[in-house]
Amino acid sequence: MPDLVLGQFAGVDMPDWVDALLRIMFIVALMTVNAFALIYLERKILARFQARVGPTRTGPIGTLQSIADALKLVTKEDVRPSTADRWAFELAPYIAFVPVFLIFVPMPFTETWFIRDLNLGLLYVFGVLGLNIVGVIMAGWGSDNKYALLGGVRAAAQAISYEIPMLLIVVSVVMVAAGRLATDGDVSAAVSINGIVADQTTTPYILLQPLGFVIFLIGALAELHRPPFDMPIAESEVVGGYFVEYSGMRWGMFFLAEYTALFLIVLLASSIFLGGWNWPFGADVGLGLQIVLTLVKTSVMIVLVISSRALFPRLRIDQLMSFSWKVLLPFAIVQVLANGIIMAYGGPDWVVGLVSFALLLALFGLVFALTRTRKGGDTTRTIQTTPARPRVITSPEVTAVEAGGGD
Amino acid sequence: MSSFGFHLAFWLLAAMTVGGASMIIVSRNLIHAVIYLVISMLGVAGLYLTLSADFIAVVQVLIYVGAISVLMLFAIMLTPRAERNNTETSLKLPAAAVMVLILTATVFVALDTDWGAVRQAALADQARLIGQSLIREYVLPFEIGAVLLTAALVGAIALARHDDEDAAIHAQSLQAEADGTAEDVALLTDPPLVEVEADAGAGEDGGS
Repeated sequence: MPDLVLGQFAGVDMPDWVDALLRIMFIVALMTVNAFALIYLERKILARFQARVGPTRTGPIGTLQSIADALKLVTKEDVRPSTADRWAFELAPYIAFVPVFLIFVPMPFTETWFIRDLNLGLLYVFGVLGLNIVGVIMAGWGSDNKYALLGGVRAAAQAISYEIPMLLIVVSVVMVAAGRLATDGDVSAAVSINGIVADQTTTPYILLQPLGFVIFLIGALAELHRPPFDMPIAESEVVGGYFVEYSGMRWGMFFLAEYTALFLIVLLASSIFLGGWNWPFGADVGLGLQIVLTLVKTSVMIVLVISSRALFPRLRIDQLMSFSWKVLLPFAIVQVLANGIIMAYGGPDWVVGLVSFALLLALFGLVFALTRTRKGGDTTRTIQTTPARPRVITSPEVTAVEAGGGD
Repeated sequence: MSSFGFHLAFWLLAAMTVGGASMIIVSRNLIHAVIYLVISMLGVAGLYLTLSADFIAVVQVLIYVGAISVLMLFAIMLTPRAERNNTETSLKLPAAAVMVLILTATVFVALDTDWGAVRQAALADQARLIGQSLIREYVLPFEIGAVLLTAALVGAIALARHDDEDAAIHAQSLQAEADGTAEDVALLTDPPLVEVEADAGAGEDGGS
């Protein structure tokens, strides 16, 4: 199926740049509506978890609450700390936001509805997502605030660490797709998101790569700064993280970026693991049902991600890092190796799925075993903190206070 | 590939690349320099796109913009006594010599290349072609690269881990504390903080 040409609806030929402009406007509109919907949804779902009812006053059952929030943000004063690095501080929200905006491009909503079907769509998503980190660090550093800097560094460290298992899992998904497409299609579609979705007409990849799905979901929670991985924006530890010093619409842009990224990464996960616009196990469906299927799969996962905020306590930053590097990364590497070995010897799809499922059980078993020993008698075990080297600081005030307290 | 938009894109990207690169040199603030480096690298990625090398463009963004620049920002921010300014250095002359060599090589390659290939249609399926040539024709350079990266990884771990030295410094400080030779010195470590403070408090109480 060819690319969707917007002019077909109006029955007119339009120049390329008009077409491009319309597509960009479509992205902006969708992004805004999505952020409004998600803010409302998050408030309502969290309220239910905490035995409250959430917003009820603004509009019917509180549905206009997001609009009220947005109005408040837009009319708020835009404050910049006097010691802040002016350019870094003012540019950071845009640099954090634009990459997320760009991820929209290769996302398939139905078989023919996307902005552009990029040949290297999956790689493109991760490449562009990496840009986001630069904006976050700029915000943290440019604010000239300790907490903002800590939050920014935490966000960047976390994003870099969890990107690696996620990318390896994407590699393993591309391997499976390439193996399947080599027999009945065009291998070059294996890195295109729509190509991967189109290959899942009979088997969603969650059945072939269950471990991949779980690691991708954990990585997505970390990339999105969602609990239990929300240390970069943990109020009790770093006040608000890298956007403490922001107010008004600049702060709003960070949140717009977060909610857009939530929608897009979850849409990506539901595309490459749950089959996107496909009805599972066969049955060719029409365009209208395809968009419903995409949105239903995405919505279910969004509800899962939002409820994780009410369900899980926050991890510690060292636990977070060691979980990525010592647990997820080895499992992701083993998954890629296993796929390669099975496919090199021409193993059928169900072997790939079975091995991945066994690895998933091993992952669960390992995590269970680790948490058991932590809970058991060995409570004195201390975690090696990172700055193990003592630093000598001459501080007469501190000693004076201590001496006074001692007397 | 010779439309107005294509030319506009080329000149904008070229201005972005060269402008970003010059600002790196001019900028006095190291963090700003890294941000200009990001802009310059994005311009290079865009230039790859105008040459229809989309795989290389994406990899450029993924590795250089997303990872290496972030690593540089980390290195600058986490090195406690690093000079944050783009100051004078004694390595000016060697750096200039190296840059002249690189520039000469680049200009030579640019003049020697047959740019007629640019006007041909884009290669389809580049990722697969690159992968195949890496594994088949250029497998030796590929493996050498892999060994180099592994060596760098092991080296980084070796540099980051020096438990013995840490332990020695720690023991020395504790000894100084116990001897009373470190009276105006407070030790700031994470786990033994309580311990050290308790010792210091006890010492002072005994003294008074």
